[in-house]
Amino acid sequence: MAQREVFISTLFEKAKLDKDIYLLSVDMGAVSLDIWRDELPDQFIAMGISEQNAINVAAGLSATGKKVYVYFMACWVARCFEQIRYSCAMGKNPITILGAGPALGYSPAGPAHSPVEDIAYMRSLAGIEIYSPACDRIAEGLVDLTINEPKLRYIRLERSYPKVMDKVYSDKNIDNTFLSKGIHIIKENSNVLNQDLCIISSGYMLGRAFEIAEKLELQGLGVSIIDLFKINSIDDKYLLEKIKNYDTIVTIEEQFLSGGLGSFVCEILADSRMQKEILRIGLPNKYIFDNGSRDHLLDSNNLSVNDILSMIMSFISKKTHKSMELIY
Amino acid sequence: MNTQELRKIGKQVRKEIFKFKTKSGAGHLHSCLSCVDILVSLYYDHDTYFNHQNDMMLFSKAHGSPSVYPILADLGYFDRKELGKYCTPEGILKLHSDSTIPGCYFVGGSLGNGIGYAAGLAYAREKNIFVLLGDAELYEGSVWETLFFIAHHKLNNLHIIVDRNGLGILGATEELLKLEPIDEKFKSFGFDVKVVDGHNYDELRSAFASKPKVPNIVIANTIKGKGVSYMENIWQYHTIIPKDKDLIKQGLGELS
Repeated sequence: MAQREVFISTLFEKAKLDKDIYLLSVDMGAVSLDIWRDELPDQFIAMGISEQNAINVAAGLSATGKKVYVYFMACWVARCFEQIRYSCAMGKNPITILGAGPALGYSPAGPAHSPVEDIAYMRSLAGIEIYSPACDRIAEGLVDLTINEPKLRYIRLERSYPKVMDKVYSDKNIDNTFLSKGIHIIKENSNVLNQDLCIISSGYMLGRAFEIAEKLELQGLGVSIIDLFKINSIDDKYLLEKIKNYDTIVTIEEQFLSGGLGSFVCEILADSRMQKEILRIGLPNKYIFDNGSRDHLLDSNNLSVNDILSMIMSFISKKTHKSMELIY
Repeated sequence: MNTQELRKIGKQVRKEIFKFKTKSGAGHLHSCLSCVDILVSLYYDHDTYFNHQNDMMLFSKAHGSPSVYPILADLGYFDRKELGKYCTPEGILKLHSDSTIPGCYFVGGSLGNGIGYAAGLAYAREKNIFVLLGDAELYEGSVWETLFFIAHHKLNNLHIIVDRNGLGILGATEELLKLEPIDEKFKSFGFDVKVVDGHNYDELRSAFASKPKVPNIVIANTIKGKGVSYMENIWQYHTIIPKDKDLIKQGLGELS
C-alpha cells in the first residue's frame, strides 16, 4: 500500500471521532480519500489546483482551532513556499503538509514532478519538522503525533519503498517519543573493535543502503545504518552517541547535496565539535530529464549500488593513505 | 454617529498618522491616508455592521494598516503613547501590523495572502471576517485562487474591501497594467459588488448598512495621500514621507 493510503485511512478513523480534523486536497486523489469524501464530506475540502490558496486557507482554519492536513504532490511545496513561510511558519499556524512522491518518486514524470531539493528549502523554515517515513508503519504512527502534538510539519509520503523496511520496523513500538527522536538504528554493528563506517540515509534510499552495507561487510568492514527519518528538532545527543565510535560517516540521499540530509548531519557534527570523516552522497547538481523508472534514474545518476560502493571505497582508501602519512 | 462627527474623527486620525509617520520616517504614509475613512466608518459608525468587539479586521494590505493604530488606541486596545513609539524598539506598533498588536490578527507584509487566510477563518463560520486589500494587490494570482474558493463556499461572512486608490508604486494601475473592470470581474464570481466613494461617510454607511447574503466586496474609490494636498494622487509619494519642515507644517495645518 502507498504510504498516503495508510496515512489517510488512519487519519480517517480519527476524523470520525474528531470533527476538528480537516483534509484539504489540492486536486489529489487516493482510494482512502474516496471513502473519506463519502462518509465525512464536511471534513473534506476540494481546493482545486491552487496550492497558495490551500495553504492560506489551511492556516486560517488552523487559527480557528482546526487540525488541518493539506495533501498534494511533494513537488508543489515549492509553489506555495511563501504561503508556508508566511501564513504558517511566521503566523504560527501549525498544519500538516502531506507531500506524495518525494524526490524521484513520480518518475518518469520528469524534473517538474521531482523535488530533488525539497529537504533543503523546507528545513530552512523556523519551527518546521520534516518527516520521511521509510515504511507504512512510520507513516501510520505519524497520524497520532500530528493530531496530538500540533506543529508545522511536512511529511514526505513514498508511493513505494523497499520491502525490507517493513521487516525492519515490524516489531518496533512506533509511538510519539520514538517519532520525535527522529532516528532509528536499523542495523547496528555490535563489534566495538570493528566499527568502521556508519551510513545515514532515509526513505527510498535505505533499500540501497542495505545492499551497500552487505557488500562492505563482505570486505571485512564493520557497518551500521541509521534511518534519519526526521529533519530538524531531532535528538542530537542520541545521534552523536550512536555515531561517535565510527571513523567514517556516509550520508546517502536522493537530493542535491546542497542543504539536504548530509548537510543537516554535518551541521549537527560541527555544532557538537565532533570530528569525523564524512562522505556526502547525493544526486548530481542538475535536473534530470532522462526517461525511465526511479531505479533507472538513480542508477544512471551516480546512485547505483556500485557507484556508491566505489565512492565509499575510494574515500576510505584516500583516508587510509592520509593516516599512513601521518604515522610516518 | 453622524457624518459630521465621523469627518472630524477622520481628520484627527489622519493627523495622528501624519505625526507618527513624519516623526519616524518609516512606512507608507501615502497608502495609509487613502484607507482612513473606510476604517473610521467601520469602527465608529454604529450603522455599519462591523463590530470591532466580535468581528475580525485583517489587513491584507498591511502597509496601510498603521491607519488603524490611532483608532485602536482611541478604543482602548493599547495606550495612546504607543503612537509616539511607532517603529521604535520601545514600541509595539510596527510598520506592518501583526498579531502581536492588540486588535490585529494576522502577520502582515506579504501581499495576496491575507484574503486566503481570511477565507480559512471565515470557513469555520464562527465570526464575521473583514479583509482590506489594496487595489494593486489584485495583481497577485493567489487572490484569484481564493476568489474561486469564496464563491464556491458562499462565504458571506467574509467581507472584502478594496482600497481603490488607483496607484501602484510606479504610477496609475490603468496606465501600467489594467485592472478594470474590477466590479465586473467580481460580479462574474457571483459577488455582491458595491462601488463607493471611499471618503464619503454616507456612501460607506449605505455600503455597510446590511450584510449581503452572498459573498461580497466593497470597492472604495479613494485618493492616495488624501488630506495632504501636495501628496494627493502623486504616485512618487508611495514610499516617501515628507521631511522638509515647511511641508510637515503645511501637512499638519491641512489636517487640523
